Amino acid sequence: MAKKIGVYVCECGNNIADNVDIDRVIKALSPLRDVAVVEKYRLLCSEDGKEFLKQSIIDHELTHLVVAACSPKQHEHTFMSVCVAASLNPYLFQMANIREQCAWVTPDKEEATDKAIRQIAAAIARVAYNEALEKKDIDVYPDVLVIGGGITGIKATHVLASPDRKVYLVEKSSSLGGKVKGFDKLFTKMESGSALIEKELKNLREDENIEVFTDSEVEQILGFFGNFEVKVVKKATNEELNFNVGAVVLATGFDLMDPKGLPQYGYGKLDDVYTSLEFEEMNVPGGSTGGKILLKNGNPPKSVAIIHCVGREDKGYCSKVCCMYSLKSARMLKAQLPGVKVSQLYSDLCIPGKAYQKFYEETKGLGVEFIRADKTNVTQNGKGITVKYESKSGPKGDLAADMVILVPAMEPSSDTNKFAEMLSIPIDNEGFLAQEHQKLAPVASSVEGVFVVGCAQGPKNISESIVQSEAAAGKILSTLVPGRKLELEVKTSEISETFCTGCKTCISVCPYSAISFDDFRKISVVNEALCHGCGVCAAACPSGAARVKNFAFTQIYQEVEALLK
Amino acid sequence: MENNGNSTSVLVIGAGIAGIEASLLLANSGAKVYLVEKASYFGGNVIKWEEVFPNMECATCMIAPKQQELLQNENIKLLTLSQVEAVQGSVGDFTAKVKKKARYVDLENCIGCNECFEPCPVEVDNEFEERLSKRKAIYIPCAGALPNAPVIDTDNCLRFKGEDCQLCQEACMFEAIDYTQQDEELELKVGAIVVATGFKTFDLTQTPQYGYKKLNNVYSIVEVERICASNGPTEGQIVLQNGEAPKSVAIIHCIGREEKGYCSSVCCMASIKQAHFLKNKLPAVKIAQLYSELCIPGRTYQKFYEEVKESGVDFIRATVNEVTQQGTGLAIKYKTEDGKENTLNVDMLILAPAIEPETDSSKLAEILAIPQDEHGFFSEKEPDLDSVDTSREGIFIAGCAQSPKDVPDTVAEAEATVGRILSLSR
Repeated sequence: MAKKIGVYVCECGNNIADNVDIDRVIKALSPLRDVAVVEKYRLLCSEDGKEFLKQSIIDHELTHLVVAACSPKQHEHTFMSVCVAASLNPYLFQMANIREQCAWVTPDKEEATDKAIRQIAAAIARVAYNEALEKKDIDVYPDVLVIGGGITGIKATHVLASPDRKVYLVEKSSSLGGKVKGFDKLFTKMESGSALIEKELKNLREDENIEVFTDSEVEQILGFFGNFEVKVVKKATNEELNFNVGAVVLATGFDLMDPKGLPQYGYGKLDDVYTSLEFEEMNVPGGSTGGKILLKNGNPPKSVAIIHCVGREDKGYCSKVCCMYSLKSARMLKAQLPGVKVSQLYSDLCIPGKAYQKFYEETKGLGVEFIRADKTNVTQNGKGITVKYESKSGPKGDLAADMVILVPAMEPSSDTNKFAEMLSIPIDNEGFLAQEHQKLAPVASSVEGVFVVGCAQGPKNISESIVQSEAAAGKILSTLVPGRKLELEVKTSEISETFCTGCKTCISVCPYSAISFDDFRKISVVNEALCHGCGVCAAACPSGAARVKNFAFTQIYQEVEALLK
Repeated sequence: MENNGNSTSVLVIGAGIAGIEASLLLANSGAKVYLVEKASYFGGNVIKWEEVFPNMECATCMIAPKQQELLQNENIKLLTLSQVEAVQGSVGDFTAKVKKKARYVDLENCIGCNECFEPCPVEVDNEFEERLSKRKAIYIPCAGALPNAPVIDTDNCLRFKGEDCQLCQEACMFEAIDYTQQDEELELKVGAIVVATGFKTFDLTQTPQYGYKKLNNVYSIVEVERICASNGPTEGQIVLQNGEAPKSVAIIHCIGREEKGYCSSVCCMASIKQAHFLKNKLPAVKIAQLYSELCIPGRTYQKFYEEVKESGVDFIRATVNEVTQQGTGLAIKYKTEDGKENTLNVDMLILAPAIEPETDSSKLAEILAIPQDEHGFFSEKEPDLDSVDTSREGIFIAGCAQSPKDVPDTVAEAEATVGRILSLSR
C-alpha cells in the first residue's frame, strides 16, 4: 500500500508562528516523498485541534502522521491518543519539536524557519520507516518470595500476605529472627530484640497466607517479573519444592567484618577483646554467661573500652549504626555494672536522626567518656589491656581497660553473591546488592520484580530496614495486582536469526539480563518480558543483528540524513 | 489498562519528591489520588537543587520525568495552591476539606508561553530564588517549574490592589487569564492520608555570630543551591556581591544543631556536594569545611567525601566563635579541638543550617489529630521501629516531615506508606 504521510504544523498561538514562517515550511515540505498533506493549525493540543487532527487522519486516509509542535515530553502522549481514536497505529506517528528546540531558541526568523524545515523533514524521513507496534500483556502470579527471615524479611512477608497473595518466606538457618533476635536491647527505647521478634512471629503464625521454610535454601530462580519459577530445597530432608511467584524480595542481611584480619586490635589473640555481637550475646539471659557481663576470669570488668569504626578504613564506608549501638552497649554496661568505667574511642560521631542526640547526651550524662581517636592499638599489659590512641585534632594517650569491645564494619552477608548471580543483580563496589537508582529507586534492583531491602543493600538501622521492606511491598502491591495483566515495554530489542553470529556480545552488555543464548540454534534471543528497550545491545552488536523496534539503523540514518541535507 | 477494583482514594499532602512518589505508586495500583500542594508549583525542595549527591545528577532532570508522568496520570488530581483545612472520620472513610486558592490563570488554556510576564509593571523579590532575584506579580517561580502556568500574586498585583491594570490579560493569546476566578472549597472522601510536607531550614538570623544578613557574602546553603542552579538568579555563575568570582570559600556545618538538639543528617553531605560543585566551576578556589563531627552514613558517601577532599578541599574540625568583616572579605575565628585558636580569611561564607519541620506543621498536626515530637516533626507510632505509621490509623508520614533525611530514605518512606495503605484494604 502506498504511504500517505500527513504533516501538521502547530502555530502554538504565536509561540511558533511568530518566529517560524509556517507558510514557507508548508511550501518546502509539500513536495517531499510520500507526503499527502501539509497543514497548519493554531493550537493542535486544544480540543478543537485534536478533533481536527483526528478527522484529517480519517479524511486523508493517512498511513503515517507527523506533528510539528512542542516537545514530545509535553504532548506526544496527547497525539498518540488522537491516532488511536482515528484507528491509526500510534507508533506510526512522529513528533518534531519546533518550539523548545527551534522557535524559542533561534532568534533569527529565517534561520528558525530553515531549521524547522529540516527538523520536520527528518521526522518525515523517519516516520516512513516506523513500524506499527502492538502492546502486549501477560498474566502474572501475585505471590511473592521473600528470602531471608530477619526483621526485614519478616516485616515484608507480613505486609505482603493477603487472601489473594501468598508469601513464601525462606530462611537458611533453623529459625526466624535474624540478628535482631540476639539483641538483648534495642536503641533508643532499650526494649528487647527477642521480644520484638516474638511479637512479629506471632503475626506470621496467625496468617494462613504465609508459608515459612526454615533450614532451607533457594536453589534456583528462573523467569521474569510476574512469572518467576522458584526451586527451594529443605536441607534436612533434601525435599525439593517448586512454586511460581510474581516478585522476589531479597532481605539477606549483613555480617560483621572479622577483626582477625586487623592485628592492631588484638582480636583472637588477647583475652577479653570481643566483637559487639559477642558482647550482645553476653547480655542475653539465655546466653553463655547467663546474661552476665564477665571477663574470661569470671569477674565483671571494672573498665571497658569500646572502639568504633573497626575496619571502616578498609571497607571505605561508614556503617551508620555503630555509633548508636555503641552508646547502647555503654548503657547496658552501666545498667548491669553501675561502677564500671566506659570509654568510647571514636573518630566521628555519626548519630543522624531526630532522637539520637538526646540518647547520646543521656549516655554521656551517665559518666561515659568519649575520646577522639583516629587510630588505636590494643595490647596486653599484665592482666589488663592497654589501648593506645591518637587523633589528628585531639590528644594522644594510653587507656587501661579490662575489656575491649570492637565495633566492626557491617558487610553484606555471605549469601549475597549467590543471589546476585542467580538473579543477575549487580553488586556495587562495596559488595552490597545494587539498587536500580540510588536516589529514586532505593529498593528496586535492575531486574524488574526483584527487590533488595535492608542491610543486603547497605548498612541500616531497624526502622530503615522495616521502611525498606514496606517500600518493596508498596512497589509490589501497586504493580502486581491479582487479576490484572502486566503491560510489557513495546519498543523492545530483537535479534535477527539470520545475522546473529552467536558472539554473545549483547549478553555481556545487557543491563537487564534480558538476552540468553539458544544453544541449539547458536544465537542470542531476547526475552521481551525483561527487555526495557535501552538499545545497548543494538549499539554493541558487531553484525547488526540486534535492533530496537522503531529505533532501527534505517530510521536513524534516514532522520540524520534529512537533518543534514 | 485493566483496573481490577482498587477503589481506594488517598489524600497526599505535600507534592515534593515523597508526595510525588507515593502518588504515582498509588495511582498505578488503581487508587484515586488527591495530591494537595500549597505552592503554585510542585516538586518541593528537590527542584531547587542543581545537582544531588553523591553522583552529582541534575536534580531537575531526575525528577522532571516523574512530574510529567504525574501530570499525565488520570488517577491523580494535583491541587496546587491548596491546603487541608479539616479532616474528619476514620481509616477507610475520611472526609477532608481542602481550600484551593484561585490561580487566576486557567490551567487548560495556558500553554506556559510566558508572554504575560513582560508587560506586568510590578517587580518584587522572588521567594523561590531566596530573594536573590526579582519576579513579576504574574509569574512562574523558575524556568521549568510545573505545572507550566503562571500564578497571580494578589498581594502585589495592581489590579487586586484596586487599580485598573489588565496588561497580562491583554498579552495572553489564549484567554487563559481570568480575574474572576474564585477560591474553592473542596470536600474529598478518602480512605487514607499521606503527610509529606517536607522541611525548611533553621533561621540563621538566630545565630548572629556568623554574620548572616549582617555581613556581605554570607549565604545559607539553600541560597547557594540557587546560585549554583543553571536556571537560578545568576544562571549558575558563582559570584560575590561585587560581581567577581570568590577566590576562597568557607562552609560552616551544624548551624543550629545545638539549639535544635539533633543532627540533621544530610548537611555534611550537602556541604561536601557544594564544595564539589564550587571546585568544578572554579578550579582554583580554596575551600575549607569547618565541622564538628563528620556524619556521612551510607555506603557510597565516604568515597564521595574522599574524592572531594583529594580535590583540595580542607576539612578543619573546629568550633567557630565569630565571623567579622575584614576589608572586603570575612574573617572567621575558630578553635580546634586541641584548644588552638585560629583565623581563616575568605571571600565567601556558606552556612549549613539545621533542618526543621515545615512552617505549618503544628496547624496540620492539629487538623489531622496526630502528635508531633519535641522538635515539631510528626511522631511515628513506634519510634525506632516503624517510621511511616502515625498513632491515628490510616494516616501515614513520609520524608522530612518525620525527621531529617536524604532523598533515597525519603523515597523509600514514600513507597512504604503505599505498602502500608495497599495492605490496609485487603
